[in-house]
Amino acid sequence: MSHTAHHGAATDELAKIGSGLKKRTELALGDEFLRKAVAFTTNKLKTGRLKAMDDFGDWETWRERGRAIREHVVSHLDYYLGQFADNVAKAGGHVHFCQTGEDAVRTFLDIARKAEAKLVAKGKSMVSEEIHLNERLKEIGVEAVETDLGEYILQLARETPSHLIIPAIHKNKQQIADLFSEEAGETFPAETKPLADYARRRLRNVFLEADIGLTGCNFGIAESGTITLVSNEGNARMVTTIPKIHVVVMGMERLVPTFADVEVMLNLLARSATGQKLTTYTSFITGPRREGDLDGPEELHVLVLDNGRSAQLGDPQFQPVLHCIRCAACLNVCPVYKHVGGHTYGSVYSGPIGAVLTPLLLQDYKEAGTLAYASSLCGACYEACPVKIPLHDMLVQLRHRKVKLKLTPAAERAAFKTYATAFGNVKVYKMASKAAYWLQQPLLRKGAIRRAPGPLAGWTQSRFLPMVPKRSFRERWADLQRELAQKPSQPAGGKKEERS
Amino acid sequence: MTTPSSSSSNPERGNASNGSGAADRTAAAGAAARPAGSITGRDAFLRRIAGRLGRQAPLAEPPARPFVGVPERYAAIRPTLRERIDQFEANWSALTGTVWTVAATDAAEAVPALASRICAERGIDRVTRWDHPELNALPLDAALAAAGVAVVPWRDGGVAPQDAPPGDAGSSWSRRSPLLRAAERSRLGIVWADYAVANTGTLVLLARGGRGRSPSLLPDTLLAVVPADKLVARMGEAFEAIRRDYPDAAAMPSSINLVTGPSRSADIENDLTIGVHGPGSVYAIILEP
Repeated sequence: MSHTAHHGAATDELAKIGSGLKKRTELALGDEFLRKAVAFTTNKLKTGRLKAMDDFGDWETWRERGRAIREHVVSHLDYYLGQFADNVAKAGGHVHFCQTGEDAVRTFLDIARKAEAKLVAKGKSMVSEEIHLNERLKEIGVEAVETDLGEYILQLARETPSHLIIPAIHKNKQQIADLFSEEAGETFPAETKPLADYARRRLRNVFLEADIGLTGCNFGIAESGTITLVSNEGNARMVTTIPKIHVVVMGMERLVPTFADVEVMLNLLARSATGQKLTTYTSFITGPRREGDLDGPEELHVLVLDNGRSAQLGDPQFQPVLHCIRCAACLNVCPVYKHVGGHTYGSVYSGPIGAVLTPLLLQDYKEAGTLAYASSLCGACYEACPVKIPLHDMLVQLRHRKVKLKLTPAAERAAFKTYATAFGNVKVYKMASKAAYWLQQPLLRKGAIRRAPGPLAGWTQSRFLPMVPKRSFRERWADLQRELAQKPSQPAGGKKEERS
Repeated sequence: MTTPSSSSSNPERGNASNGSGAADRTAAAGAAARPAGSITGRDAFLRRIAGRLGRQAPLAEPPARPFVGVPERYAAIRPTLRERIDQFEANWSALTGTVWTVAATDAAEAVPALASRICAERGIDRVTRWDHPELNALPLDAALAAAGVAVVPWRDGGVAPQDAPPGDAGSSWSRRSPLLRAAERSRLGIVWADYAVANTGTLVLLARGGRGRSPSLLPDTLLAVVPADKLVARMGEAFEAIRRDYPDAAAMPSSINLVTGPSRSADIENDLTIGVHGPGSVYAIILEP
């Protein structure tokens, strides 16, 4: 899967989504710049979002409308995809339905071969990351250059995005200056302006030289076969203006029925992602250039990708994951993401949405399913989501699914079975708490367990495990009841030592 | 060096607008429909989806929609022209853009004067502009020429090939177009907004014929003229008008661009950077009735 090259050691184990999770978490927590940069950025984006919501007023009504539109589209996706494809073709574009990532890669490679392409200029596209297109293009001798500034930085560093909206969130200016200096063969200072100027010059040449412009799709508009693209830098406009061929790679769920509906989604997306009222550039692409147009591509190809998405349809628990509009608001509010950053997830999509989407798309509840545990289930992701996806419920459901499929370790299953037996029967419970009191004695230091044994050791790494009291709450409760019955006028309360 | 030719391989073929004031509809009607594109892999793909959704076959009839578009209360907001101008000005300025409001009757003097002023202040000697009837009607080119600024209108033959030599960069495709090369060398692009949106501070630019995608994108400065009657309250009103003018996908402009301020990025350590790929300086002239 993806690399965690920013830590230097992209070992096989680290690269595994699930089993590498713990190791990557440790590395991320030890990276002070990463933690500070991620916390700073996510806070800034979060504050921006809150302000933009406030300015807009009546945010809940908007959220509900956004959710309803997405739900409507996804539950009628067969109709809207058909309508969308008809209209793309009507406008002169070619639509390729691709069941798997491999189908999409092959389709793209065919287009590139036929065009004898040497260079592909890429707008930001998470789906192209999902299907690992760059590597495959390289195999047939086609260079793909990322033109989003953040993605370009990461491509030079040979890393993957760590945030949906600000992909190079974990890189500092000095690191960027080093990367650019190596690329250009001249030395750049660690200052924003000269670095951005270099990127503008360098990437302008890429736009001019590219044979193919590749983009994702933020929203496909079914009624007109229109591809909606948003960007702040303008790279999406560049790659849809200059190269001869424009190829769109889109997830099959990214549709809205009408232009009227896209107004809702654009408002929600910009405000949720960055706190802007609207992204700087929004382009609506309908077919290739028309007769009489003097710029724009001659050919437009739209690759519509399933790649595990349809498996969520008809699943009452997980179908709403397809409502996602990739705004990253859930990343910015997630206490776990904030501490460990995006690479720790080890998958293309990170944060709460990544923890849900990755195991579902890969149909891998064992390895990738481990991501569902990278959450405190606080529900901040749901609160922030502009289309009200119940991510925290889904995280619980994924854990449930993993257990039901017997994919958790045998010892863990045995432990929880014991736990269930003890808590499901009063007598066993009473006996167990008595036993626990006595069993803990050798471990107690000053009234608490400071270093727990075995699998519980992780718990006591950063906090104490409180001791099991000699008298259980149930026993004390019975005493209290008696006491109250004797002295009805006294305020409730027990003896001091019983309050521990 | 590639010699630009007038052969059919030249990407700048087609009917250049003659600047005779052709209306939008005519431009659309003039855009001959392309041959329809192809669709592959559709049936199995849609059948699978229909199956997952519990249907025997893909839905053929449009599903009922209890709601469409923005919340009704938002759609009902109707600001006055004065309010719309104020809102646009506040939003555009907040994004570091400049707004001038002039009387429409003074446009012939004010627009060329302001364009010349931008060129003088920024040391600009080459401009690309839309081949738009309203811009053509202004004495803009003459005023800029008098100030020593070369103007390239976005039309076939708008630039003499010798005035736009191919640089080192560029694929054989992009090098073939003298217009693209000229736009790439221009430092100011001038457009006539089809619509503008007050509550976001947004220009709406419909690309077709002489109104290319490049002039508002390749130069590092952008100037847009916005007639006040095209200044709508929210983007949905512009969408409605566009859908009304182009109900058919085949006739839709191939690219509609919403421009909300200058090109920007926060990708380098969260530092706001202006002018990353598109124009870094943006100006709007509102023509008031």
